[in-house]
Amino acid sequence: MEHERDLEEYRACLLKALTVSAHRSACSASDPIHVFVNERRAGLLDGAGAETSLQLQSHVRIDTIQLRSEDGVLLGGLSAPEFGFRTSRIALLRDTIELRVHNTAQGGSVSAIFMPAPSLWRRTWRTLAGVADAADRRPVRGMLPGVQTVALTQALLAIVVVGLAASQMTGWMTQERARSPVTPAEIPWAAPLTNVVKLEQQLGELAQMQAKAVDTIQTQQQGMAQLQGAITKLSSTQEAVASSVLTVRREMEKRQKGQGHDVERVTRLLMTKAQTEQEQLEAEIHSLIVANDKLSKDMAELEQHNQDLKKRLKSAGQEVSKAIVSDRDKPMVARQEDGAHSQPFLFWVAFGEGTSQKSIDQWVRKVRGQKRAVSGGWQEVEIVSPTIPPDRFLEQIRQTKIVKAVRIS
Amino acid sequence: MVLTEEQRALNRDRGMSDRTTTVGRLDEVVSTPEEFDRAVSQALPVLLDRATSYTKRFLRETGQWSEDVAHEKFVLRWGAEYLERFLICGRSEVPCRPLFLLDSLVAKQHSQPEPFCYHPDLLTPLGRFLDGIVARAAISRDALIGLYHHCYGFGPGDVIALTGLNGSESQRIYKNFRRWRDSGWQRAMDEVGMTEAELNELSSRQERHPQRFNGESERLIRFAQAHYRKSEPDHYPCLSRPQWEEMFTQGYGYDYRIWHLALCLDCMQTAWALGSKGTPAVDKPRVELRVRP
Ligand SMILES: [Zn+2]
Ligand SMILES: [Zn+2]
Repeated sequence: MEHERDLEEYRACLLKALTVSAHRSACSASDPIHVFVNERRAGLLDGAGAETSLQLQSHVRIDTIQLRSEDGVLLGGLSAPEFGFRTSRIALLRDTIELRVHNTAQGGSVSAIFMPAPSLWRRTWRTLAGVADAADRRPVRGMLPGVQTVALTQALLAIVVVGLAASQMTGWMTQERARSPVTPAEIPWAAPLTNVVKLEQQLGELAQMQAKAVDTIQTQQQGMAQLQGAITKLSSTQEAVASSVLTVRREMEKRQKGQGHDVERVTRLLMTKAQTEQEQLEAEIHSLIVANDKLSKDMAELEQHNQDLKKRLKSAGQEVSKAIVSDRDKPMVARQEDGAHSQPFLFWVAFGEGTSQKSIDQWVRKVRGQKRAVSGGWQEVEIVSPTIPPDRFLEQIRQTKIVKAVRIS
Repeated sequence: MVLTEEQRALNRDRGMSDRTTTVGRLDEVVSTPEEFDRAVSQALPVLLDRATSYTKRFLRETGQWSEDVAHEKFVLRWGAEYLERFLICGRSEVPCRPLFLLDSLVAKQHSQPEPFCYHPDLLTPLGRFLDGIVARAAISRDALIGLYHHCYGFGPGDVIALTGLNGSESQRIYKNFRRWRDSGWQRAMDEVGMTEAELNELSSRQERHPQRFNGESERLIRFAQAHYRKSEPDHYPCLSRPQWEEMFTQGYGYDYRIWHLALCLDCMQTAWALGSKGTPAVDKPRVELRVRP
């Protein structure tokens, strides 16, 4: 009977705890809130009472999201749909958390936004600014502090990407193209976890690498142009990345102030984000490498082509110089010939007895001449351009069978 | 003492009569979170019995059930756990039929390879105590920090030195300790149904046979840690001594240290001296159970 009573008490105690549930946390609004995804600790909403957000991505489908206080009280949660979006606003004592989950065939993503109850001065400010109504009715996302800081976010993104690509580019230039394209392990956030957790240091190194990259890049302007293209594309099209990096940036700021040493959160963010974005980045950088590789090959080919051209030019040069020499002579000859034959050559021919007019015409065509005047048995013939000197030409004419005599005038 | 057949029949009958009055509404569709809250808040005893009976059936069908008060407590505890998740997460599933939503939630839990940490040795008062605080550590940072005290007798200063924390994180450790002492520990004890008599009995056993008691505790702690460490982020595995050393000397992975060392005896014994340069701030950790916070 004692055990029976014990059990009854236990059951009553459990039921009582369920009734008060979320209101029994001993934590205050400024304490962090833990985000559990699929019942695993996944991140922290730690705004110390101020607006803050957390973005998580997972390569497996998200089933449940739970929010717990530091003392473990289940404050709120959400069951994710098999596919698609679901959002839920969780009202805490004063503050609100908006949860948003999205499942796709590739995995899921979660965003959690902690919104403290507006303070008096903030409400006043809104009223003065005349935006109170608009701000309150606007979807939560529009009120994200991220909106004002996107530029900085993209700067960080750029640093990461530049650092990443620069290490690759340095590779291309110092080692002779033996490097394989980026493998997941080479990307900081896909590296073994112990390395990943070192993000704090890596970001510093990335900044240095960026400086190095600038040096390197200046030596290959085409690479720079491509890289900038990729970065621009990435930062302008991947808003999802930007927004999750935003959280990272805020974490980094906190860390720089010597506050909240929690590298894991940053790592977690980058890792989870990267799990889905990584392939795209990889593809981007891979194609960059391929393009650069091709560029190098093209350049090599161009160089080879240039060499060939030079060689051909050199050998062609001799021909050309010969050609130039003979060409220099030819015009002289031509000029002389022009001088000799530009005027028609006229001479008189007497034909033998009984030579038919037909035979005479044939002969005139044969010597490419033209009949002119006829006088006293003499036929005047005009020749435009004989190829041999006039004396020899007349001698040849004289030896023709039908010709009896030749005279020039 | 086990329940008699009559008592169990009585329990069932009481459950049945509760059901007839409230189940009617629970199998109807609710369309808004508010409707959901209203419907389920009026039916908590029925829902608790339902979740509990499913858990009991699960243990029976997996050959882990025994007719004793420890098992009854175990299924009540997990029934309440499932019901809490149902109350919180079910609101987002509207429109739905609450009764069947609860059924599917429990079924989903039971379809997992290890839905809960079950071991006959964990059903003793000592086992239940340890299971209670380690389970709590998986979901509560206060309890996690409390584990350093319960397992090794460390105070906030020791935890800070051991994990090599700095200013603001130290503040949080003090807060964790305070809340655990003020309310967290009692809640964890309530959750697993530790009575005052049971707690006193543990203390006197420890006084009588400290070595045997602490040895038994260590064995059970390892068992519970291995189960609940799964709640850690999946990129927090055990590390080798050089890896821990690197983490400490290069100053990263604070969260890693705090969570993993609390939940891993082996790594604790590897990394305990790394947080302080020079002479270690704490003695080599050995399991010396503290029952009270
Ligand atoms: Zn109680
Ligand atoms: Zn370990």
